[in-house]
Amino acid sequence: MVKAIPYLIKALLGAPATFLGWFQERWAKMDLFDESHVAEARTNPWFSLGGMWYWVWMLVIISGVVLMIYYVPVTDQAYHSIERIQQNWRWGPVPIGAVMRGVHKYGADAFIILATLRVYRMWFTGEYKQGNEFSFIIALLLLIIGMYSGLTGYLLIWNQRALWATKVMATFPTYLDQNPSWIPFGHLINLSNQGKTTAQILLGGTSIGPATVTRFYAFHFMLSFIPMIFFELRVYRKGFKRMNISHWAKLAVFVVILAIALMVPAALGSPANPEVTPNPILSDWYFLAMYHFLKLQDPYLATLLTVAIPFLVLGSMFLDRRPERAWGQRQIFNWIGIGGLVYFIAFSFLILNGIADLHRDAPIWYYSMGLFLLIGYGQDWAYVMKRDGKRWHETFHLFFVAFILVAMSANTLYHYFGDIRDWNVLAKAEMPKVLARLHLSNPLATPDMAFEWLEQNRPGLNLWLTSHTGPDKPAGLELWRVHVAAWLLLLGSGLFVGLSRWGRKKAAEAEALAAKAKPKPRPAGV
Amino acid sequence: MKENQRRIFLKVLTSLPIVGGAVLAVSAVLRYFKPTAIGGVKGLLAPPDEAGSSVQIVADLSELTQPWDFKEFIYIRKSVEYSSRKIQGAKIPGFVVRVPDEFADPHDPKSKFVVVQRICPHLGCTFNFVKSPEELAGGYNYAPPPPTHPYFACPCHLSVYDPTRKQEVSLQGALPGKVVSGPAPRPPRTMAFDIKDGQIVITGTEGGGVG
Repeated sequence: MVKAIPYLIKALLGAPATFLGWFQERWAKMDLFDESHVAEARTNPWFSLGGMWYWVWMLVIISGVVLMIYYVPVTDQAYHSIERIQQNWRWGPVPIGAVMRGVHKYGADAFIILATLRVYRMWFTGEYKQGNEFSFIIALLLLIIGMYSGLTGYLLIWNQRALWATKVMATFPTYLDQNPSWIPFGHLINLSNQGKTTAQILLGGTSIGPATVTRFYAFHFMLSFIPMIFFELRVYRKGFKRMNISHWAKLAVFVVILAIALMVPAALGSPANPEVTPNPILSDWYFLAMYHFLKLQDPYLATLLTVAIPFLVLGSMFLDRRPERAWGQRQIFNWIGIGGLVYFIAFSFLILNGIADLHRDAPIWYYSMGLFLLIGYGQDWAYVMKRDGKRWHETFHLFFVAFILVAMSANTLYHYFGDIRDWNVLAKAEMPKVLARLHLSNPLATPDMAFEWLEQNRPGLNLWLTSHTGPDKPAGLELWRVHVAAWLLLLGSGLFVGLSRWGRKKAAEAEALAAKAKPKPRPAGV
Repeated sequence: MKENQRRIFLKVLTSLPIVGGAVLAVSAVLRYFKPTAIGGVKGLLAPPDEAGSSVQIVADLSELTQPWDFKEFIYIRKSVEYSSRKIQGAKIPGFVVRVPDEFADPHDPKSKFVVVQRICPHLGCTFNFVKSPEELAGGYNYAPPPPTHPYFACPCHLSVYDPTRKQEVSLQGALPGKVVSGPAPRPPRTMAFDIKDGQIVITGTEGGGVG
C-alpha cells in the first residue's frame, strides 16, 4: 500500500493529460449509426440497425412536423384537434391525417425498438471495447432521449393515460426533497427544494396545466431535433454515408410502418380528467417495466434507482476491461444483459396484469438479480481458470462474490425486516394476545403500543433487528447499519488489496527499467 | 512525455477560471427553464414558487354531525400560471372527515375534523374513504385491528392511512393520516382550514405535491 502512494500521486498529476488522450482517441472512433460497419452490414442484418434507426428517426420528424400544422397545443383543444386529425383518414377534415399520426406514433415505437436492439447488439458483442465506449454511450443516450421524447409527446394528446403518467413522472423528483435523516446533509438537501424545482421546470408551474402542454411541446421538439442537428454536423465534417442500408431496405421499413398505421389506427384514449384516476395507471409500453419497478420499492429509493439505471449500465460497461469479445468469454456481462431483458419483459407483463405484492415479490427479484451475477461469475471463473491454466483458488475473486452475497441479503432482509408485523412470525402470533390484554386497561390501545410492549418485555423476539423506528421507538442497532458497515469494510479492504498489488507491480516495473538502464560493467582488460 | 504532461497539467490549471465562467453561463441557461412569478435576480437555488391559495367554503357543519361523517369536495387552488393569463385554477380533490370525539382535543373544535388533499402522496392517485373492514381486507390488502373504523385507502398501490393517528413529517410536524400499510412515504398532504359561521372554509393547501 505504501509503495503505491508515489505512483498514485504521479497518476493524479498526469490525469488531465491521460484523460485528454483517452477522450480524443474515443471521440475520433465514435460511431453514430453503424457507419463504421459497412462491410459487416452486407452480410449481417444486425449491423443494419443503425441505418434503419436513423431512417425511422427521419420519418418520425417529418411526420411530426407535418402534424404540427393541425395540432393545437392548448389544454382544452389539444384532444379535439387530434380527434379531428384522426377522423376518417380518406374523406375527413384532415385527409390522411390518421395515417400521418400513425406513422409518427408507430415510427416512434420503431425508433425505440431499433435503438434498444442496437444497444443490446453492442452489449452482447462487446462492441464498446477497444476504444469504442463513446459509440455505446451515444447509442444508450439516444435511447433515453427517445424515451423522454415519447414521454413528452404523449402528454400532448391530453388523454387520461397521458395526464396521469405525467403526474407520476412529475411526482418523482419531489422525493429528492424527502431525504431521510440518515442521508448525510439530508435536511440541507431537503431545504434546497431541488426536487420541487425540478418538477416545476418540467411542468412549468406548480401543477399540470396549459404551461405544461407548451413546455412539453417544446421539449418534445427539442429532444428529437437538436441531437439530429449535431449528428448531421458530424456527418458533414467526417463525410461518411449516413444510412448504411439499401434503398429497398428503407422502402421496406417505411411500408411496414405505413401498413401498421393503416391497419391499426393509433389509439386516442379518453380525454384527460384530473378528477378521476384510472386504475391501473399505465404509461407507454416502454415505461411499463419501470412502473412496476416503482411499485416494488419505497418511492424514495425507487426515484434514486430509476435515475441510477443508465449510470449502472455505463458503470458496468467500464468495468468490462478485458479485451475478449466472444460470447463465452465475458459471461458476467452477458448475464447483466439477459437479466435486463428478462426484467423488462416480466415487469411489463406483471403490471399489465396487476400482479404485485411489495413484501412477497421484491426479495424474489433481488435474489434473481444476484443469482444472474453469480451464475455469470461462475462461468467466468471457469473460463479464466482454463485460459490462464491456474488452479481454482488462484483466480477466485473473494471480494466480488462477498459483495454480491451481502448485497443480496441486505436487500432481501430490508424488505422482510422492514415491517415487523409481516415478518416476525412469533411477534405476529403474540400481537393479538398483547393487544387484547392492553385493551382490558385501555380500550384505545393500538398495534404500535402492543409492539412497544413486546419490545420491552420479550427481548427474545430480537425486534432490534428491524428498521422499524419512529419518535416512539429509538433507533437501535439496525440491520441496515450492519450491512452498510459490511459494505464499507468490503470496499475498503478490496481497495486496499488492489492498491497494494498495483503499487508492487509498478515498483517492480520501475526496478526492471532501472536495471535495464544501468550501464553494463565494462569488460575487463579495456 | 514528462514535459508534455506538465504542459497539459498547467493548461488545465489555467483553464479552471474559464470553466467556472462557462458554468455560470450554463446556470443562467438553466435559470431560464425555471419558472418563477417574480422577476429580477433570483438564483437557481432560490425556492420555487409555492402553489397559491384561495378561500373556499367546502362543507357545512350540519352535514358532519355524526362521527365518521365525511364529505368529498373539489377545491380550486388558484396558482400562478406563467402566461398572460397569470392565474390558473388547479382542481384539488379533498376529504373532510369528522373523527369521533375521543380522538379529538376537547378544547380545540378544529381537531374534530381531518381535512386532507385526496391526492396520494405516493404517486398522485386519488384515494378513497373506505368504511367497511371487509373491503379494506379484500380490496386493499389491509386487515384493520379491532376496534375498526374507516380508513383512507388508495386503489393504485394499496396505501392505507389511519385518520385517527398522526405521523411525524420532517419540517412539518405531526400530520393526521398515519400510513398503516402500503408504499406511501408520508400522510396525505393537508389543507389549512377554519370554521366560520358553521362552515368549513379552506384557506390554503400544503405544497410539494403535483396537483
